[in-house]
Amino acid sequence: MTVKECYEKIGGDYEGVVNRLMTDERISRFAGMFLDDDSYRKLVDAMGEGDYDLAFRMAHTMKGVTQNLSFEALYQPVNEITEALRDTHRDAELAESLLPAVTKQYEITVAGIRELIG
Amino acid sequence: MEKRTILIADDAQINREMIKFIFEEQYEVLEAQDGEETIAILDEHAEELAVLFLDLIMPKKTGLDVLAHMQVKGYTDFLPVIMITGEATPEAEYKAYELGASDIIYKPFEPKVVMRRTMNITELFEHRSDLERKLEERTRELMASREQLEQNNAFLINALGSVVEFRSMESGEHIRRVKIFTGIILEYVRKFYPEYGLTKKQISMITQASALHDLGKIAIADAILLKPGKLTRDEFEEMKKHTIYGCDILERFKQEETEFYRYCYDICRYHHERYDGNGYPDKLVGEEIPIWAQVVSIVDVYDALVSKRVYKAAYDVKEAARMICEGECGVFSDKILDCFDLAKEELFAITQQEFIEDEVSQK
Repeated sequence: MTVKECYEKIGGDYEGVVNRLMTDERISRFAGMFLDDDSYRKLVDAMGEGDYDLAFRMAHTMKGVTQNLSFEALYQPVNEITEALRDTHRDAELAESLLPAVTKQYEITVAGIRELIG
Repeated sequence: MEKRTILIADDAQINREMIKFIFEEQYEVLEAQDGEETIAILDEHAEELAVLFLDLIMPKKTGLDVLAHMQVKGYTDFLPVIMITGEATPEAEYKAYELGASDIIYKPFEPKVVMRRTMNITELFEHRSDLERKLEERTRELMASREQLEQNNAFLINALGSVVEFRSMESGEHIRRVKIFTGIILEYVRKFYPEYGLTKKQISMITQASALHDLGKIAIADAILLKPGKLTRDEFEEMKKHTIYGCDILERFKQEETEFYRYCYDICRYHHERYDGNGYPDKLVGEEIPIWAQVVSIVDVYDALVSKRVYKAAYDVKEAARMICEGECGVFSDKILDCFDLAKEELFAITQQEFIEDEVSQK
């Protein structure tokens, strides 16, 4: 599986990422690091405990990471949940309702990367 | 001195790595994963860093907290900060710039752009600190050469002022003492009579100028200047003109009417005026006589009394002070007499010290 195929599978912007990071080797290396990033796990835990400040920070971190990796399909629900959790206009109920979409796309993304780097 | 270390502060490892790979060939890279760690590294390494990449939202302390800390510590003066953020909220952006961030870059990072901006900013800061260093150096040089100039100036003024004394076989010490005494009494005038508005800088200039008070005596013939006996009425009239001759000399040298020139001129011309109008050459009355000339007058009288001259013995310091205060040497203002009274013990001590040294050196 090529990096391009992987990005197609997980709904990423391959053109965007290759323009910035230049080589497939480098993209796979950074994508691989996403598997070790625990912000998704911590987001889920924080939501479960009702710690919305922590949940916001974790969503925000995910947002930055997915932006940098051009994981467009994951970025969308992460961006929405981040806004729902932002303390200036927090809507916890909305955030809870957005979490499944995040989880669904996270799993697709992780599975795609695992397939890529074996 | 080019700085070769950068600090990347971001809570997500991937984000740190994505900046790191841009710079790791040229720079030593330090990393921090929260605000507290960032502050700890800054406190230890701020001066070695070329640039700080700072994430806005981090655990423990936020990017804005870090900026606030940097401002308190003064780091923002020399360390450029590039904020990294996922979204542009105008308030956070404004706040970041206000707290001293140099630039803001947005995720996703464009490595070439990040590199280019970083180079621009570090060059700008290096250039600025280079300029500051040059300016500091230049200021130091200027101060040193100004000090040298002032010393040379004082040397020339003293030399000029002493010419007359050497002609009359005196030691040149009179000029030196007049300067010291003038400085002491002017300090009392400044402290107790603020209505004259004297400043430290003025006192320093007046003290220098006092060395020239008898400059005009250079134009007095030997037959009069060096006459051991009492002067005739005509001879005395000629002697009095040294106040005018001094000003004539100054006027010939004059380039522009500076403050210092004014003190020199006034002191040459008016240091024999008396408060009641019975002095010379212009018979000025009261405060028509500039305060600097009044001070040099009383000092000149005191030093003449306590010095031995070809035509007289030296008076005892206390006797000299009594004569001045009781009006035997002409009338001085109450204010000047008050300052003289306050200063007299200092004057006595210096006079006696100087004469002891004189005697020792003569033996």
